[in-house]
Amino acid sequence: MSLAIKAEGIFKTFRSGWRGKTRKEVLKGIDLQINEGEIFGILGPNGAGKTTLLSILSTLLLPDRGKVQVLDMDALTDGARIRERVNISSGNANFLWSLTVKENLHFYAMLYGLVGREREKKVNALIHLLGLREHQNVLFDRISTGMKQRLSLAKCLLNDPDVLFLDEPTVGLDPNAAASIREEIHTIQKERRMTVLLTTHNMREAETLCGRIAFLKEGEILTTGTAEALKRMVRVGDVVRIEFQGEILEDELLRADGVINYSISRNFCEIIVDDGEKRLGSLVSVLSQGGAEIRKVTLRQTDLEDVFIELAKEIDSDLGLRL
Amino acid sequence: MYSLNLQRRLIRIWAFVFKNWLITKRNIFSLFEIAFWPVVGFFSIGLLTTFLELDANMSGFILTGIISMSVIQVCQIDVAYVLLYDLWSKALKHTFIAPIRSFHLILGSWLIGVMRSFVVFLLLSIFSALAFSFDFLRPGLGPLCLFLFGLFLTSALIGISVCILVLLFGYNAEVAAWSMVSLLYLVCGIYYPVSILPFPLPEIARAIPLTYLLEYFRSFYGFKSSSGNCLGWGFGLIGVYLILEAFLFKIVLHRAKRTGTLLRLSE
Repeated sequence: MSLAIKAEGIFKTFRSGWRGKTRKEVLKGIDLQINEGEIFGILGPNGAGKTTLLSILSTLLLPDRGKVQVLDMDALTDGARIRERVNISSGNANFLWSLTVKENLHFYAMLYGLVGREREKKVNALIHLLGLREHQNVLFDRISTGMKQRLSLAKCLLNDPDVLFLDEPTVGLDPNAAASIREEIHTIQKERRMTVLLTTHNMREAETLCGRIAFLKEGEILTTGTAEALKRMVRVGDVVRIEFQGEILEDELLRADGVINYSISRNFCEIIVDDGEKRLGSLVSVLSQGGAEIRKVTLRQTDLEDVFIELAKEIDSDLGLRL
Repeated sequence: MYSLNLQRRLIRIWAFVFKNWLITKRNIFSLFEIAFWPVVGFFSIGLLTTFLELDANMSGFILTGIISMSVIQVCQIDVAYVLLYDLWSKALKHTFIAPIRSFHLILGSWLIGVMRSFVVFLLLSIFSALAFSFDFLRPGLGPLCLFLFGLFLTSALIGISVCILVLLFGYNAEVAAWSMVSLLYLVCGIYYPVSILPFPLPEIARAIPLTYLLEYFRSFYGFKSSSGNCLGWGFGLIGVYLILEAFLFKIVLHRAKRTGTLLRLSE
């Protein structure tokens, strides 16, 4: 499979204050390879460097050091040609305030060289696709945040990009609107087979949308992989919580397959196992055979948040050792 | 294929005409820019010439200055607005992620500036003929068109300077859109000949194309110009400055991408 984006050793430091004496190192040697047609997520807390990385890859920002190739073109020398084939949508969508939704789309469509009927057709199709019809003649500063996000998505599809950069596409939206935007992204990517690079600090969003995910913290990529692979890698374990009546024999618990750790209170226990779904049945039968009457069983599987916390801990302890 | 490519290039330029036009027609302040301030300024200076009982040529000298400045002010602000509207809407990055070149941006906004300032010119020349018997057409259509073209290009120079300052200093530079023109009032001989200026201002005036353009046009009303080929000097300087500004614009845009100014201005 060919690469849509390839970044090697990206460094970026921002300078501020008198004669730029205050320095903030935002990216510290990022390497990244993104395949054509995949949805790749960059996950990390605020200030991790996600937007900076995305801006460099989309040619809006120049790195201090490193190589960036987008669609086999050098981002430093072929910026204009790359911009023909990529587009960006940001979470905090800002467009020209005193233009209507439709006028904004027409303006940006003109910037992509769309003329006459071709432009009219494209703008109308995107208005329809993203459910903006009712708001098409409303000024940008009078529409809701959700509609602004939809407009932002519509705008970034104007040139049928091969690579789409989505910077926190659901930030600030209520859960329903966020879910609907996620669905739109998923559908659009599936239909058009475009490469999508998405930044988010929402673990669920990354897990739902992205084929592969990179964890970014303090300007460094901690690890990259599919959600499943990352969970397996960290081995945080799933938590099985069992409410019971009677007594549980700890020896039986220790002998059960896949148990990593456990804690027992008066009428419930929490057992950490390697794979919750796989071990649940055998755990319940082991405990039942021991004489406990099982009242309620709940399973909480490892999510990306656990993985991220665990990875961050590992990095912090590594740093501690180094210090 | 060639025709389609040409169409795509032209539409990119037209995009900025479209944007500035839509914003202008929705903004009551823009009506003031075209009709109120220039007319008020023109009449207050015109009435002053009447009060001072200046002869027709001397009144013409001053009225030429005030009309030229009104044309420049309206035209240059449109070029400056091309980035300022994006700056105020925090939408700068959407413009620069698009595959456009600096000249699309400048040329498009300049064209609408030319249209708006031409309206100002027409309005003020009619008033000057009716109220102060000043005939703007006396030099003939050719010299008038050349003079106006020079004024429009001078406006582009000022507008591009504002854009350069915006990319360098962000919001701190927006005041330049209204204040840069005021410097021209002082040094370019709007109300008086540059020869009366104290050192080193005449030398500075000689480096500004507007000084030559005004001398060229006033020469048709009996005022001697200080240099032989005013038009040549005027357009020559404009050409040099346009090339310099094109380079500078490219450099500051590159810098804005390096320092992150472009992104900061979009947040």
